[in-house]
Amino acid sequence: MNEKITLDHGSGGKLTLELIEEVFKAEHSLDAAILGDIAFTTDSHSIKPLFFKGGDIGKLAVSGTVNDLLCVGAKPLYISSAFIIESGFEIEQLKKIADSMIKEAKDANVKIVCGDTKVVENGKCDGVYINTSGIGKIIRAIDGSDIKDGDKVIVSGYIGDHGFAILNERENLGIDTKLKSDVSNLVDLILPIIESDLRIKMMRDPTRGGLAMCLNELCYGKDFGFEIEESLIPVREEVKVISEILGIEPYYSANEGKMVIIVDKNDAEKTIEILRSNPKGRNATIIGEVKNELKGKVVLKTAFGSKRILRMPISDKMPRIC
Amino acid sequence: MNLDRFNNPEIVKRLALSIKQEASKLSKTVKIMHICGTHENSIVRFGLRDLLPENINLIAGPGCPVCVTSSKDIDAVIDLALKEDVKILTFGDMLKVPGSRLSFSKAKSMGADIQMIYSIFDAIEIAKETNKPCIFFACGFETTAAPTAAAIAELTLPNNFFIYSVHKYTPNGVYALLKSGKISMDGLILPGHASTISGLKPYERFTDEFFIPSVAAGFEAADVMLAVLMIIKQINNKEAKIENSYNRVVRYEGNKKALAFLNKVFYLTDTIWRGLGEIKESGYELKDEYERLDAKKQFSINYSNSYIEHQKGCRCSDVILGNITPIECPLFAKRCTPLNPIGPCMVSDEGTCKNWFDGGYGE
Repeated sequence: MNEKITLDHGSGGKLTLELIEEVFKAEHSLDAAILGDIAFTTDSHSIKPLFFKGGDIGKLAVSGTVNDLLCVGAKPLYISSAFIIESGFEIEQLKKIADSMIKEAKDANVKIVCGDTKVVENGKCDGVYINTSGIGKIIRAIDGSDIKDGDKVIVSGYIGDHGFAILNERENLGIDTKLKSDVSNLVDLILPIIESDLRIKMMRDPTRGGLAMCLNELCYGKDFGFEIEESLIPVREEVKVISEILGIEPYYSANEGKMVIIVDKNDAEKTIEILRSNPKGRNATIIGEVKNELKGKVVLKTAFGSKRILRMPISDKMPRIC
Repeated sequence: MNLDRFNNPEIVKRLALSIKQEASKLSKTVKIMHICGTHENSIVRFGLRDLLPENINLIAGPGCPVCVTSSKDIDAVIDLALKEDVKILTFGDMLKVPGSRLSFSKAKSMGADIQMIYSIFDAIEIAKETNKPCIFFACGFETTAAPTAAAIAELTLPNNFFIYSVHKYTPNGVYALLKSGKISMDGLILPGHASTISGLKPYERFTDEFFIPSVAAGFEAADVMLAVLMIIKQINNKEAKIENSYNRVVRYEGNKKALAFLNKVFYLTDTIWRGLGEIKESGYELKDEYERLDAKKQFSINYSNSYIEHQKGCRCSDVILGNITPIECPLFAKRCTPLNPIGPCMVSDEGTCKNWFDGGYGE
């Protein structure tokens, strides 16, 4: 490991995993802790720009934590919000962020119940950082303990929107596009499948590091892997274009309003049906399946029938986007 | 242009089938080399080697500009940047390329003024905003040499702007390597980008002298597969000619305007390709009338004779020559990764090792 922290350590990729294991001496496992019938999680948010097409840091801070609670099969209930604000930051802007948080919390049916405010010197942070922690009630613990060969992999919609939308705005790539961040809480989309009797095995929101990181994390060190059909992964045309221009595959671009769901193969179609009945899941698709022989690896099958490994990203070409 | 049809699975599968049929007539395993990092990127990304029969060996040759930039030049410019009050401007791909001891990135962390730019035009704008001498470390093949030449020929450049050219000319480089026997191939996929500038005429020597079937190709899956098919057909027909499967972009005579700029500004000189030694008339050097701009003439640059092209164990030279694949290097994906590249091929998206790493090899 490098001696100093680099931006790559925060990219959500392999270096983040190493940091968690080697420095924090913690196990990297689920998106939220399962404590009896309580789920608990925390997440810090720093994004540039603070306001972007499709949302802002406030909306991101609420939905990020809410979605992490959903991943383990919980109904999100309460969240905290802690602000680190740079001296000189306009109160009007802060108000907009706060309003956005309130709106998103209402939409997700969670209550913001406590918080904290710190102000740091000018130049010590990029406007505002927000940490949110969340508590949810476990409806049924979804912890990946029952994954079997042949289980299906579902994504709830288009992949790569958030990362590329932010990058386009931040780096002034000048690509004229309607593309916007997909940032959103997924309570109304995911709660129904948690509450159903569908055999959902595991869920994760493919945020930093994108779909590639998410799938790799799900099978990291496990006795199974995934085989994904590249042509089935839903990707918007705009995202494809940006991907070509940047030379970054959309699978490495972050999402903030999508879910990856591993489900028993016999329940996959029914799951898709439920997801598609909600506008947020209209493009939900089965993209592949669990394969025991692939142990810890994610294999991408191209439309041409060739195969390659979808590697865990080791660094992020798009730092600090969530 | 809508490129979808060049990635149409049915077309690619049909090409794969045709290749299989054509390859069944071959009497031996054939080695088809490409000399463009972007081709390697496509081949890995689309998994094209998976689609080829066993007797077709598709290999990457010297096609990555930062990979063939000598440590001698990198060291000398880093040394200058550390000692003198100058700003070095270069492409992002170059920053992490290790020299003998340091990369530009590491030199930057030691206080050298080094900045990443996307093009020479960025570099010129940056120079305009400072009084500091700004040196553009100009690397790349014809594709990037052409804009450098155009900027020099056409623009009024600020007085504090200088150029250190390590630009290289692909056809002569690869020709010399062939002639010396350092590389060998039964067929050659001509580079899509570089040939857009140089045209295909400079490759006539490959067919005439070495009887190598040569086909220019684009970068979509069908482009590369079609070029492979055309090469095997030539081999089976005992032909060696230049064909152009990328005529939506590449012209036989090249880009005349770009070539005129190159001829105006540069002359070709013997130059060192990293790990491959000095290659005749393969480097673009500024002509005397541009010596005001030439950093090599305007600054006292110390060249060390003890520069190291490749660290112990690193097999980038063999990778560049297509003698081995990256996974045959003992350092690949172990000590040498994109975060900590030991050899230059692990740095840029055009580097063979970087492409193979990103493609999941060595997992």
